[in-house]
Order: sequence, then structure tokens, then C-alpha cells
Amino acid sequence: MARQESFQGSLPLLVLKILLKRGPLHGYGITLRIEEISDDVLRVEEGSLYPALHRMEEAGWIKAKWLTTGNKRRARAYEITAEGRRRLEAEEKRWMAVHAAVMRALKHA
Amino acid sequence: MSWLSRFVNVLRRKNLERDLEDELQFHLDARIDELTSRGMPAEQAAEYARRRFGDTLRLRESSRDIKLIPRLDSILLDVVFGLRAWRRNKVVTAAAVVSLSLAIGACAAAFSLIDALILRSLPVDDPSTLVHLGVRAPGDARDGMSFNYPLFEQLRDASRAQVRLFGLSDQSRRDASFDDAAQPEKVYGQWISGDAFAILGVRPALGRLIMPSDDVTPGRHPVAVLSHDFWTRRFDRSPSVLGRWVTIREKSLQIIGVAEARFTGVEPGIMTDLWAPNMMWDARVIADASTRWFRIWGRMQPDVDTEQARSVLQTVFTGFQRAQARSRPPDEPPDSLARYLNTSIHVRPSASGYSWVRQEFARALWILAGVALLVLLVACANVASLLVARASSREREIALRISIGAGRGRLIQQMLIESALLSAAAGVIGAVVAVVIAPGIVSMLSTSRSVVRLDLHWDWRIALFLGTAGLLVTFLFGLAPALRASAVTPYDALKSGNLKEAPRVGLFRPLVAAQTAFAFVVLFVAGMCLASFQKLVRIDLGFDPENIAIVRVQAGEPGSDAAAPLALWEQLQRHLERTPGIESVSVSRWGLFEGPGRNKSVRVPGRAVDSYMPWYLDVSPGFLRTMRIRLVEGRDLEWRDGVPETPSAVLVNEGFARRYFPGESAVGKRFFRIDGDVLVPQDIVGIAGDAKYTDLREAAPPTVYELLRPFPMAVLQVRTPLDGAVAALLREELPRVHPALRSVEMTLQSTLVGNHLVRDRALALLSGFFSIVVMVLVAVGLYGVLTFGVLRRMREIGIRMALGARPLRVVALVLSEIGWVTAIGLAIGAAGGIATARLVTGLLHEVTPSDPWSLATPLICLVTACLLAALLPALRATRVDPVTALRCD
Repeated sequence: MARQESFQGSLPLLVLKILLKRGPLHGYGITLRIEEISDDVLRVEEGSLYPALHRMEEAGWIKAKWLTTGNKRRARAYEITAEGRRRLEAEEKRWMAVHAAVMRALKHA
Repeated sequence: MSWLSRFVNVLRRKNLERDLEDELQFHLDARIDELTSRGMPAEQAAEYARRRFGDTLRLRESSRDIKLIPRLDSILLDVVFGLRAWRRNKVVTAAAVVSLSLAIGACAAAFSLIDALILRSLPVDDPSTLVHLGVRAPGDARDGMSFNYPLFEQLRDASRAQVRLFGLSDQSRRDASFDDAAQPEKVYGQWISGDAFAILGVRPALGRLIMPSDDVTPGRHPVAVLSHDFWTRRFDRSPSVLGRWVTIREKSLQIIGVAEARFTGVEPGIMTDLWAPNMMWDARVIADASTRWFRIWGRMQPDVDTEQARSVLQTVFTGFQRAQARSRPPDEPPDSLARYLNTSIHVRPSASGYSWVRQEFARALWILAGVALLVLLVACANVASLLVARASSREREIALRISIGAGRGRLIQQMLIESALLSAAAGVIGAVVAVVIAPGIVSMLSTSRSVVRLDLHWDWRIALFLGTAGLLVTFLFGLAPALRASAVTPYDALKSGNLKEAPRVGLFRPLVAAQTAFAFVVLFVAGMCLASFQKLVRIDLGFDPENIAIVRVQAGEPGSDAAAPLALWEQLQRHLERTPGIESVSVSRWGLFEGPGRNKSVRVPGRAVDSYMPWYLDVSPGFLRTMRIRLVEGRDLEWRDGVPETPSAVLVNEGFARRYFPGESAVGKRFFRIDGDVLVPQDIVGIAGDAKYTDLREAAPPTVYELLRPFPMAVLQVRTPLDGAVAALLREELPRVHPALRSVEMTLQSTLVGNHLVRDRALALLSGFFSIVVMVLVAVGLYGVLTFGVLRRMREIGIRMALGARPLRVVALVLSEIGWVTAIGLAIGAAGGIATARLVTGLLHEVTPSDPWSLATPLICLVTACLLAALLPALRATRVDPVTALRCD
């Protein structure tokens, strides 16, 4: 009964893409990856990633499981689901369309 | 994620908090580790990591809300919203709750009765290994349950390795005199084997129970055990009951213990009050191989199947029957003897006990449960149409909610929550209804001679039943309106400022048809039950049961076997006949329809003896006159017929004369009663009209009325306009005739006959009640649907009237919306009724489902109810003012 909610901004899109390419990651790992690929352009409060992750989890796009790391700490690792993949594909398409439209508008304005 | 995991989250809130904490902490720790590994001091690293992370507390809160709140929140909102919505529609709500709770209550009551009488296992150790024995001669429809004691002993001793058998007497209400009371009271007593309690696994609540050592020598073990229920009712759970004495069946027994509370006997429907050892039954009966009196129960030994036990028992049983066959009448026809010898014995599982109450009422209860279920379905259809109507009038609200982003699932959730609120309320009230009416139904099953009591405890089964019923009902009546509401598109609903034009009665059609069909079946079944009851009440008994008091009179001290001489009974009868207020009196061995009867083989000269045994009753002269049985030919009995020297004069009824003396007058003929080896001559002095003896439904059996013999106890038939009030008169008059005469018990002849109508009366009353409920439901439902239809088509009706349509035409228009749907419902109902009638007719008297009246009566009732329900909306339609109707859009 997951509801279709579209999140503001591009964070979910980014997270899904990262999880798709890199496989299961914990929140900190995702943060590092975002920092790495976006050259700190998209840097936000790191903590705000978590409500986004939890919302995506509730929506069924990603799923989580507990792992124990090398130094015996409990870490929660996220993985993309089939639904998440579909969502990602759709969001990417939409994003591209919007992007193209904005670009066209900018060009011809 | 599913709502299930959210729900789990709610339940495991603690875990959720810890997980969130851990997850965020891990992030911080990892960042600090990274920073310190790059050379930043620990304290500064922690500070930096925290700043970069943001407000942990706020983040944790918002994450928790994501996992926890939304669904709960929305449910709570829906509940509040639902309650408010129901409060706004008080009439609709009340109608829905009342009809549902009545129906749920009826279903729950029926279920609790069925549970107590049929389904529930006996409250003893491991009931699944309990069995009872039955015998069946070829061609018999049901098992015989009575065994004689010598046979029981042989069976028990031969099969010890397979099954542990124990014997039980039948149960009937008997007089018991306790040493602390002057008057005897009625108790249900049962005589049992010494090891019965041990085999059943019953433990004492006080003192000790009957043991094998209490059941060795006939007449030597004067002990009794009380039931917990009786101990509570009669002795207020006083421990001093131990050691008291009770006299029952003319034997004094000392109370040695009380059985545990959960054990109320092995016959559901009857709660046993007292148990005594078999050896305290009559010594003669215990030794007699021809008196079949005991039932046999047993517990299977571990790892033995019933077939193994059966084959062992069959060998013993067949041997016993062979030995007995030698004392059968020498000229018995061979087929009757073969039937006797080929009787088979069966081991029947009896985890839930075995009882005549169940035999008698099980089918009727299932029928009632079925009817109650149909009523519930009608109520569901009814509430569903109310809800659809309501949902339609809420179309704009719903459209608004959809257009501001409410999901379809969310709307369905809301509708279902509203239905659930309704059914929860109905379930709670229904439970109360059930608690009130179930004992009422049980008391309807009791007669003046047998008290039916059931252990109706309200346990988890009933709760489960109510819960399941509630859920089913919610979905049954909630889903249609929910789906319908969620299919609304905001564009459609909002574009015109008003309701849409297209008639939307479509959704009601299946509901109306279903409701009508179910209602028809209920009325059909009820109609047959009522018709059967009426026929039974009006049945020609052959005697007139009104204004006759049946008084059991004891001549002499209780327990003494001294028979009162015939002259004493004659004197009593003559005295009472002269007493003012009494029309006529007769004396007999027992009353008609009182229960007992006596059958004897007869030999009629010129005819072979057959296995049919006519009925016998010992009566005084004047019996026919008092009972108003016709004297067809010859003369009545006279007191002087009892003088021993003369051959015994008898009256026979017409049925007897037809059977044994066809085509000739039986008066003056002689035949013989077979008493073992003795042939007793009987001379027919008169022919009586046919009168029923103990069975209401069967034709009056061939009957012989013999002159009363001297008995210590007899029954008076007193025809008097005083009815029951004659008791006081008799208390005065009896001692005037002889000081030893006492009246022991009094009832009315009409009550004795009525006792045979208990099941029919209960069925007729309850199904009649249900059919009234169902008609009200159908009428209310139709009224609602039609009113809604008229509102919907207001504009159309307005236009038509503006164009000159006559009121009659408008009425037809309104009625046509449901007319053919109702007709289809009636047709389906009739088909369903005829299909199910088969299940019912077995219980009914001379009622056939194909009888046109069986179909016509419910048809007329329902059509009338429908027309009445349609009247108001139709009138309303004719009063539509075209101008107003057209302006409102």
C-alpha cells in the first residue's frame, strides 16, 4: 500500500542511482559517495539524508538490513529494490525531460 | 513497506528508537574516525562531525515519525471523522446499528447454543478417546442405546484390552427427599459404574467420588455424589453436605462428595444433579437379561482403533443374542428372529457426549442458525445500501478530497473504518443481545417433565465468532460503498455544482435483489415452521385434553410396595365424582402423553403371531367418558369386570379392530395377551374411538384398554373447569376417602400434550420473530433506496411533470427502478427456498414446500412490505414541484 510520493529535490534520485551502481551501502557510505561525485555542490546537512532514506524505505524503493562492521559497530546498510529501480528509471526520464525543456527554454527565451 | 511492519513498529517502539539512535550514531562515529585519522584532535572532530550532521534530535524525531505516525495518525483521524459522520446521520446510524446488532446477536446466540449442545467436547480428560456403544438391527435408521446389565458385564470383561467400558442409567427427573427438607424435590439422577469417574477423569471438588469398591454388591453401597451446580444451588456450597442422606427411588443414600465444577454430566442439554452406583439400581433389573436399561460408554485404550474393539464386542454380543433367542416366542416369524440375531454393535466416538436433547434439537438449532445468518446477510445488504446512498450524497466531499491529493487506498481505508466502527458497535450490542436471548431459547426447550439446561459459558470461541462475524460484516457492507466512493473522479463530481443526472441506482440493484432473496428464504422457512406448528396444534388427538388435571396419587407410605386394593381406587373415583366442581374422574396406570407406554404381543385366533405389539393401558371405568374418547360400539368397562373369576374384559380401539378383526365386528371376540409362557385371555366388550397414546405425529396406534389392576400408585384424570386449582380441592378430599391417599404430583393434560410441541413451538416462535425482523429490514432498506432514487431524479421528474406526466406515471417511474430487481430477488429466493426446504421438512408435520401456500405466503408478505416501503417515496415524487426541481441546478 505504498503511496506514491514524489520527494522534493534530487536527493532521492541521487541515492537510488548510487545504490544501483555501488550495491548495498550504509548512510555514511552514501554521504561519502555524494560528496565525491558532486564536488560538494550538492552538499547539504548530512543528517537530512536519514529522513530521506527512511521515507524511501517506507515507500519500498530501498530496503535495509543491519550489518556488524569490522570494529563491532552496528551499521544499517541500504539496498535498492526492484520498485526502486523502476522509480529511478521513471525519475531519470522525468528529470531529463524537465532538464531538456528548461534548456530549450533558456536557449530560445 | 507494508502497514504490517509499521504496525510492528508501533508495537516495538523501543526497538525502533534504539535502531534510529544506533544508525545516526554510526554515522557520527564513522565521520569522527575519518577526521581523527586525518590528524584532527578527537574533541574538535566530534564537534565538527556534529555540526556537519545537523540537529540529531530533530532528525531522529522526523525519522521516527516517518516510520510510525502516518498510518496511525490517519487511522485515528478516520476514526474521529467516522464517529462525527455517524453522529451527523443519527437515523441512518441507529437503523444500521440496530439491524446489525439484532442479526449479529441472533447469530451469536445460535452459535453459542450449537457450541454448547453439539460442538464442544465434554469437559473431561482427553475427550477424543471417549466412545459409546450402539446397536442396530438391519434396516434401523438409528442406533439403539439401551443394554441390559448382564450383557454390559460380559462386554466389559471381554474387551478390557481394547476399551474400558462403563455403564450408565438413563436420566430422568426423579423425586429426591433430602434429610433437611420435608418435601421431595426433583433432581436429575444418574446411576453409574464405580469406575466411571476414574475413566472419565473427573475429580472431586469436595469429599470423594464413587469408586469401583462402591459398585460391587447390589443394594449394599448407599452412597451418592452431587454435581457442583446442584451443590451450589441447593446447599450453597456448604461443606456440611457430606454425610447427609437423600432418598431417591426408595433407597437412602449418603452424600460422600461433590464432583468438580466443569463436569456437568455426559449428556449435553441435561445437567446431572446426583450420581449413585449402578448397584443401587433395582437388584432385579441388574440381574435381568431382558430389561434393557443401561447405556454403555468407554474410553479407548491407547493405540487401539474402534474397529478392533468393535470386532471383539460383536463376538460377545452375537453369542449373547443367540443365548437369549431361546426365550423368544416359539412361533416368532423367522425374519423377526433373523433381525434380532443380525443386530450389529457399533463403537461411536462421543467426544462431545451424546444426548436426546441433541438428537431432538440439533437440526432445529442448525436451521435457526441458518435463518439467523440469512437475517445477518439481509442486514448487511441493508446497511450496504444505506452506506452507498450516504456515499453518493458525499460525492462532493470525496471529490474534494481526491482533488487535494487523497489516494484511492486512503479513501477506501476511511470508508472501511467507518464500516468497522459501525460493526464494532453492532458487535458489542449483539453480544449483549446474545447473552440475553440464548438462555431464553434454552428455557423454551424445557418441558414440564424435562428441564433442558446448557452450560452456556462465554469463552474465546464466542469472542472469535463475534470477531469474525464483525470483520466479515464490515467487508460485506463496507467494501461496495468504499470502492464506489473511491472511483469518483474529481472532474465529474465537481464540474456540475450538483449531483450527476445519470441514474446511479445500478449499484443498489444487486443489493436489493440479494436482500429480497434472503428475506424470501427466511419467510419461506418460517412460514413452513408456523404452518407445521398450526397443524400440530389442531391435530385430532382422539380425546379432549382441555380442562383435565392429571394427578398422580400414592396409596400408602412411600416405598411400601403394598398395592391399594381396587376397591380403594373405585371408592376414590366415586367420591370425587360426587364432589362439586368436578365433572368426571377416572383412574389409570399413567396418563396419555405422560411418556410411559406398554406394549405386549398378542395372539389372535386364526392369525399368525407377528412382531407387532399393540399398546396397553390400564384404566378405570369412565376413562373414555372423562377423556371424551368415543365409544363406537359395545359397552364401557365396569368395576365388576375386575372380579378375578370372570375372564378379563377389555376395550380395544378402532385401529386394533381394523388390524386384527378386519371386516367384522370385534365386539365379543376373544384374543390372548402373551405374558412370557402364559396366554391371558381377553374378551372385547367395546370398541373405543382412536386416540393417540404417546406420539403426536403418528396415527393413533392399535390400543387395548384393560381394567385397572391394584397398583400402589396411579394417575387420576380429573375433568374440571378449575384446571390447576383443583389441586387444593383434592388435598382436602383425598384424606376423606382414605388417610393414606396423597397426591404426589399434578399437571394438566394439555401441558403433557404441549410438551410434545416444544421443538415445533420454539422453531415457529423464533423463525416467526426472525421473519418480522427481516420484513422490517427489507422495508427500511427499500424505503431508503427509493427515497434516494427520488432525490437523484428530482430534476428528471420535474421535467416530466412540467411536460404533463400524470402522478400515476411518476409513481410507476419510481417503482420501476426497483420493481423488476425485487421480482428477480423474489424468484431467486423462491428457488433458494425450495432448494433448502428439504433440510427443514424432516422436522415438520405435513408441510410440503411445493404447497402453493408455502410460496404464496412469503410472496404476499414481502410484496406488501415492499409496497408499503415504496408508498412514501412515490408520494413524495408526485409532489415534486417542477419549478423548484428545475431551479435547483
